[in-house]
Amino acid sequence: MLKYAWQFMKYDKAKSLGIVIGIVISIFLIGQQTGIFLFLTNAMKALVTNSQADLWVVDSKTINANALGKLDIRKLKELESIPGVARAFPVVVSGGTARFDDGTTAGIQLIGTDAPSFRVGLSSKKIIGGSLEAMLEDGAVSADYFDRNSLGGAKLGTSFEINGKKAFIAVQTSGVRGFGGIFMFTTIEKARYFGNIPNTNMSAVLIDVVPGTDPRAVKDLINKTLFGVRAWSSKDFAASTVTFLLGNSGIGFSIGSLIVFALIAGFFIIGLTMYSAALDRIRDYGTLKGIGASNGYIIRLILLQAFLFSLVGFVLGYAFIELFRWGVGKAGTVFSYSPAIIATFFLITLIISLGGAAFAIRRIVSLEPASVFRG
Amino acid sequence: MAVIAQVINASKEFKSGDSVIVALKPSSMDLETGKVTLILGPSGSGKTTLLSLIGCVIYPTSGEVIIDGVSTRDLSANKMAKIRLNKIGFVFQQFNLLAPLSAEQNIMLPLTLLGVPDGEARERVKTALQKVNMSHRAKSLPKMLSGGEQQRIAIARALVTDPPIMLCDEPTASLDTNSAHVVMEELKLLAAEGKAVAIVTHDMRLKPYADEIVYVEGGQISKTEINQPI
Ligand SMILES: Nc1ncnc2c1ncn2[C@@H]1O[C@H](COP(=O)(O)OP(=O)(O)OP(=O)(O)O)[C@@H](O)[C@H]1O
Ligand SMILES: [Mg+2]
Repeated sequence: MLKYAWQFMKYDKAKSLGIVIGIVISIFLIGQQTGIFLFLTNAMKALVTNSQADLWVVDSKTINANALGKLDIRKLKELESIPGVARAFPVVVSGGTARFDDGTTAGIQLIGTDAPSFRVGLSSKKIIGGSLEAMLEDGAVSADYFDRNSLGGAKLGTSFEINGKKAFIAVQTSGVRGFGGIFMFTTIEKARYFGNIPNTNMSAVLIDVVPGTDPRAVKDLINKTLFGVRAWSSKDFAASTVTFLLGNSGIGFSIGSLIVFALIAGFFIIGLTMYSAALDRIRDYGTLKGIGASNGYIIRLILLQAFLFSLVGFVLGYAFIELFRWGVGKAGTVFSYSPAIIATFFLITLIISLGGAAFAIRRIVSLEPASVFRG
Repeated sequence: MAVIAQVINASKEFKSGDSVIVALKPSSMDLETGKVTLILGPSGSGKTTLLSLIGCVIYPTSGEVIIDGVSTRDLSANKMAKIRLNKIGFVFQQFNLLAPLSAEQNIMLPLTLLGVPDGEARERVKTALQKVNMSHRAKSLPKMLSGGEQQRIAIARALVTDPPIMLCDEPTASLDTNSAHVVMEELKLLAAEGKAVAIVTHDMRLKPYADEIVYVEGGQISKTEINQPI
């Protein structure tokens, strides 16, 4: 049966090509939109996912990591005294304008954490140039390689101004980028200095719990004991940030509707092409019925063709998706598909081609075996 | 010689919109093994309808059709398909070979449907090809073959399952005189081997090949020739 199915597909090359192209285009569009979605949501939660901490403690009204409220510095001591808290690291986020020698200006977000642990943004995995020692010098900040175009081509060592104060790039990261603003990481003192943030304030506190302690219990204890703050697990804070921004930006809706559109368009293009291909072979299917093939056999023959189409279409479509990923990755739009997502792409391919085959199957099943006697 | 198929007072009506077309009035006939039975009649007389009843592709409106002792009246569509697959070989005016499949794959098809093991199936295809003298074109697609060659492949496909009944609807109408003769000789040979071969035609020139002749006109069967030019 596999051989017969394959020969049916090969026989009508133009229609088969049409079906494969339909599958490739729709799976490519879906993959592309999913990729952009992954990139954007990763950027939304980048601050949280690029930090090392069991818990984030922020102002009690804050639900978005990209818009942190103010915390009184005294909260740091209070947090340190909570049982189960091993260490607390303050984070200061300030805004500013970067101005470069060539006249380029850019709005930036400065994120300061204590040296030498630099709990946010400056993990060794993400650093591609410079050193954390240099980060201790006056005016030292980091910049991401992929933000260089927005920063007047800034490289390691480039001097510039932040809010009119002298700064230079001491560390270069790769792929630590925010949603909207440009991230620059530095020490907590410099984040205060550049952004005029008084010593009495901070933006958030990162918590390490005592080894062996359940972070959730510590989180609950903080939320019960301290007023005006809210502790989150890193995972929940990231999720809350993404949910908030998706809901506010319409990105979820626009990407979701594009994916649904690609699904529906693909389903009908593939379905109608398969239908028309089956009509071209209706005489053959009629003969099959006439000489005694059951409906089940003919349905399997059509489904097998649909399955083979989805295999071929998926392999090609996924190759194009990877090509797209590689292309935009070079421009800094870095993301990756998890095995589960790739499996979902294949499942979607299967559903649209097997579903599309339903049109053809309906037509062939209703075919009278007696049709075989009518030319 | 034995009666393998019986049409007993069977009729067939087709509904089209409000009107009813009587394609076959209540008629009876037997099909015997070892004989070529010619079903002769003018266009629109009901020949194909009669053949379709025996071929288990339609149900009679009234009366009964009995194939190898089984009445088709209460059979499901799938059971009918099984009877066609097991008991009947079909040959059509337009050959009806599956275009994407090679000659030998077309012949293999009913064996695949029956679930005959690969090795045995291949042997039987080879024998069938030899029988119709088409071994040299086994790998060809139907469109590469002449009409006569296609019809011989179609006959091979019909006989490869060794069915007791062969039903042929105008098997020579698309062929030149020479190919028609080859095909008719092959069908006659099959009858000689013990099959019941029924051939529908409006071509009087086929009469010499017949052991039995059934005349159909205006939806009615008669054993005697109708005095009318066909
Ligand atoms: N499915 C159908 N629906 C409606 N009418 C039909 C159907 N099949 C056959 N008929 C009608 O029944 C009558 C007999 O048809 P049938 O095909 O049996 O004739 P035939 O003798 O085979 O003719 P021909 O030599 O032209 O093939 C015709 O009038 C035909 O139009
Ligand atoms: Mg006819």
